[in-house]
Amino acid sequence: MNTTSNSSSFHRPIASDCQPGQRFYVRVLRQDGPRKRRYWQRFALEYEADMNCISVLQRIAENPRTDDGRDVAPVAWECNCLEEVCGACTMLINGWVRQACTALVAQLLQDRPGEIELRPMTKFPVLRDLVVDRSRIFAILEKILAWVPVDSYYDLGPGPRQSQEAQQMAYLYSKCMSCGCCLEACPQFLKIELEYREGETPEAYNARLRTANMRAYIGSHAIAQVELFNSNPIGAMNATERLDALVAEGGIQVCGNSQNCVRVCPKGIPLTTAIARAGRAATRHIFRKWFDR
Amino acid sequence: MQRPDPASIFGRYEFLVRRLHSLIGLLPVGAFLFIHFVTNFSILDGPATFQMRVDQIHSLGPITLPVVEWSCILLPIVAHALIGLIIVARGKRNLLYYRYARNFRYTFQRWTGVVAFAFIAWHVFDTRGWIQESWWVAHVTHPLGGGTFDAARAAATATASVQASGWVAAAYLVGVLACVYHLANGVWTMGITWGAWTSPAAQRWATMLCAAVGLGLAVMGLGALWGMATTVIR
Amino acid sequence: MAKPSVMIVGGGLAGMAAAMKLAELDCEVAVMSLTPLKRSHSACAQGGINSVNNLTRQLGDNEGKHFEDTVYGGDFLQHQPPVKEMADWAPRIINLMDRLGVTFNRTPEGFRDQRRFGGTLYRRTAFAGATTGQQLLYALDEQVRRWEVAGKLRKFEDWDFLGPILDEQGRLRGCVGQDMITMRIRAFPADALILAVGGCGLLFGRSTNSMACNGSAASRAFQAGARYANGEFVQVHPTAIPGADKLRLISESARGEGGRIWVPRKPQDPRPPTRIPENQRYYFLEERYPQYGNLLPRDIATREIFKVCLTEGLSVETDRMCVYLDVTALPREVLDQKLAGILEIYERFQGADPRVTPMKIFPAVHYSMGGLWCDFEANAAGGLNVGSPRNQHTNVPGIFAIGECDYQFHGANRLGANSLVACLFSGLTVAPGVVAYSDNLPGGDARDQTAALYDRATAKYQAEYKALLARPDGGPNPYRLHTELGQLMTRIATVVRHNAELADGYGKICAMEEKARACSLADHGEWANQNVVFLRALQDMFPLAKTIVKGALARDECRGAHYKPEFEMPAVEATDPAERRRQAEAWCERFADNNRRWLKSTVAAWSSDGEPQISYEEVDTRLVRPRPRLYGVVGGDVIEQVWKERERTAKAKAEAVPSASERGPG
Repeated sequence: MNTTSNSSSFHRPIASDCQPGQRFYVRVLRQDGPRKRRYWQRFALEYEADMNCISVLQRIAENPRTDDGRDVAPVAWECNCLEEVCGACTMLINGWVRQACTALVAQLLQDRPGEIELRPMTKFPVLRDLVVDRSRIFAILEKILAWVPVDSYYDLGPGPRQSQEAQQMAYLYSKCMSCGCCLEACPQFLKIELEYREGETPEAYNARLRTANMRAYIGSHAIAQVELFNSNPIGAMNATERLDALVAEGGIQVCGNSQNCVRVCPKGIPLTTAIARAGRAATRHIFRKWFDR
Repeated sequence: MQRPDPASIFGRYEFLVRRLHSLIGLLPVGAFLFIHFVTNFSILDGPATFQMRVDQIHSLGPITLPVVEWSCILLPIVAHALIGLIIVARGKRNLLYYRYARNFRYTFQRWTGVVAFAFIAWHVFDTRGWIQESWWVAHVTHPLGGGTFDAARAAATATASVQASGWVAAAYLVGVLACVYHLANGVWTMGITWGAWTSPAAQRWATMLCAAVGLGLAVMGLGALWGMATTVIR
Repeated sequence: MAKPSVMIVGGGLAGMAAAMKLAELDCEVAVMSLTPLKRSHSACAQGGINSVNNLTRQLGDNEGKHFEDTVYGGDFLQHQPPVKEMADWAPRIINLMDRLGVTFNRTPEGFRDQRRFGGTLYRRTAFAGATTGQQLLYALDEQVRRWEVAGKLRKFEDWDFLGPILDEQGRLRGCVGQDMITMRIRAFPADALILAVGGCGLLFGRSTNSMACNGSAASRAFQAGARYANGEFVQVHPTAIPGADKLRLISESARGEGGRIWVPRKPQDPRPPTRIPENQRYYFLEERYPQYGNLLPRDIATREIFKVCLTEGLSVETDRMCVYLDVTALPREVLDQKLAGILEIYERFQGADPRVTPMKIFPAVHYSMGGLWCDFEANAAGGLNVGSPRNQHTNVPGIFAIGECDYQFHGANRLGANSLVACLFSGLTVAPGVVAYSDNLPGGDARDQTAALYDRATAKYQAEYKALLARPDGGPNPYRLHTELGQLMTRIATVVRHNAELADGYGKICAMEEKARACSLADHGEWANQNVVFLRALQDMFPLAKTIVKGALARDECRGAHYKPEFEMPAVEATDPAERRRQAEAWCERFADNNRRWLKSTVAAWSSDGEPQISYEEVDTRLVRPRPRLYGVVGGDVIEQVWKERERTAKAKAEAVPSASERGPG
């Protein structure tokens, strides 16, 4: 399977012109809470061997003082595995959406000497600083029934046999870590940020948010998941339901084929292949629905 | 099991509307563009040939022709354009950050769509005055200088409208190229949307195919334009 | 009967396996996690998951051998019934995972493919590319989402577990958590609490663990009365990439495929490694262990790398310790087809291509064999009575522990690809036990408790939180203190342990704990305050750090990952056969003595004076008698021979006397 990921551009060899102790700046776009004012702050740091954007943020947390000497609250950010497999630390680094853990300082400074710019993702509501609320991604997975509906968890023997080819394709789709890079770069995927209405209960607000999430575009990650589960021998048994979700409001039709998603996907998932295949399945599905019932 | 929430009214038909939009871009709108270019290209064979082509079209008759024009050309174009404008409004272009060729094509598809719509609106008004009803012709078309095309004197009136000024010729150049790009790239995205070409390799081949189609159309369109701009009718 | 309400803390493999099974059993399930479940640390597991399978079975393998490999690899420090049951369940668990859609690699005929892993002779390990843990985690995440949509399960992601709520009889009635965004603290009434909170790698500063593996939840349960067992057994993986923020694992398969470990003979040779000629390279593992070479068991390989860098000063770099892991001589297709995943990690984080330049690696803290003490109920066959409420039950009624945070399955050393199966097994089998426990609870279920019980608990944690926020400025910096703790723990309590260092270190840890109480915050806000969460976690690292160090200090022997040179068994080096035999007999005598003294689980209880109190528990070895682990031991052949003779004699004696009645654990 050929993928058009450009992930190789992440790891070019580093020219070793970054010396330990070398000074550089980090500009962070900060926001104290949802819908609050945004502001920039700049921090001065010293280069350490093997430094990535996580260690940059760790150093800032240790010593939250701006380059003009003001003590400020430490920058809030999200991370967990630090080896690009959990998807937590996704943010905009020098304007580009990616994981902070694989963003090596030496490479960033090579591309843009002197300064690194960190911003939160723009397609999700900011909770604080670089932390955004990506629960919408998981809500979308609910919408498209992204699971294999087994009868029970009792021992019912082995799963269905599969060809190596089918497994290889499924594995590619199954590496999706729901980081949101594809959605950030997608010109068709727009931010949803609701405000509490006067006297609204949290339940009512959540219901409203859910409706908004369910109606808006699902994005290419979810289209690939539809392909994944519809190609699974057991998952295929409720393929129709998933295809219904795929052609519902906010479904595959919203895709505008800019194909940015496949370029920014850190896992090299063949998202655009999934979109085209799902498009074909949707075409067949809709014809069957209208003319074959 | 909790089901996805019911969609909004537009949302319920969103898939249908978008697929229809994709389809009518090719049929009939794209097909019409091709026929239109072929007809106008014939000006290079001389005014008489062009007149013959126009006469062929008009041989449909005074009742049939408007019905065909409205149902197969005007309404589909308007529908395609209006849905297209909604699509443009619902996207947030980001070419500045993600400078990929495909993203450029995505963005350009939207620009050319808007430009082509504006151009076609002007072009149809200028040549046909939009509506052929007598009150409209007397109170809108003629005072604004539209409706210059006369099927009986096809070559003379068509060339005259292109040759009205350098600005008009330039507008035609931009308009024709916008239409051509929009159609050729539209065919490419259509192939993905409907699932004709799926793998990256197939999509690269399709890109070349659509580029060839676009190039052919551009030659036709620019040839026609050149003919209109240079043919002198005595 | 009302449905049992169960709170699960931790949403990795174990937690989610329990969650989906409990939902299936019609419980009211809630899962609380520091991260969205899909971002849990289980995603980092690379190699695979072990089970007997149709292929190995026909080559002579069976569940009993998987069980035996596991207890032998763990130096017999596990109670055997849970391990036997786990090995029995493993094939069924893999089948279930297969049905759930895990993308296991396939053979050309479409069966699941298996590879060989450390500590066994059979190809028992099913795998999904180089990200088996991730694939298993996602399959469970999907099932949990399915139950969530069905309204049977609720998730509390980005919540910090603050502590259990116990009634006056010491029975669990719920727990308290804090939303890490809104900072709201609330009580969650529950009939049972399952802790699936993973390891505690962050105690060692940088490790191969994720940032959520700070041990705080286990520590909070420990401080609330749950016992903590075998804390001193911490697995250090030989090959990881040093990083400024984390030490990233390079799987054993690099060496399995032919990768070699070496250092330049000239200390800190400044030349690039590819320019150092063959005769100036020191392949120290191959030279010292000609038989096993680079494929030594993990603990020994780790110790040798340590020795080369620390004692012999042969580290590749001057300012930090590392050795070369060299795969540059391997054929390209091996690199690209079998090792691509791990080479990519190295490439991404080091910016250098390991196909061209040798990788620089160093051992890193990887896994905690120890954890919360828990009970089990054996059946007549020596396995578990699955469904018994005693299984996985801590000493606090109502609190269960599963996954890496329990101590049951791996003894003194974990075998590769056994952690995933242990997580899934404990998660799936704890569920029926929890249901049985929740049936007819003395004093009613959580709904019958007074609101005051929950209000009091909430108020207590609320007050602690406010006190943290109100700390005066100018105190020590919690992040630097954490670095200090990590450095100390890594120095004294990892690969090589010395009593003097441990005793001295214990004092230092106590001093740091004192210092942590005075740490100030840089953020006093009440919205998404990560400072508060970090400082609280840091404070809770000390009880576990003290338990680990105290346990290590007390355990005067070498067993699995716990290694004290002073107590190392001597080698049998004599050449004269009679002398060899005499030495081997002495060796075996000493080994048997040592087992009588030390084949015991360390069990720590937190006492009110802030010190762990250590006691020991007999290990249930009803199925396989402990024997010496002889990997790489000089004179291993004669020791083995003598040991077998001793065993035969002992057996004959035992058969003469009727056996003692079956011992119940706990």
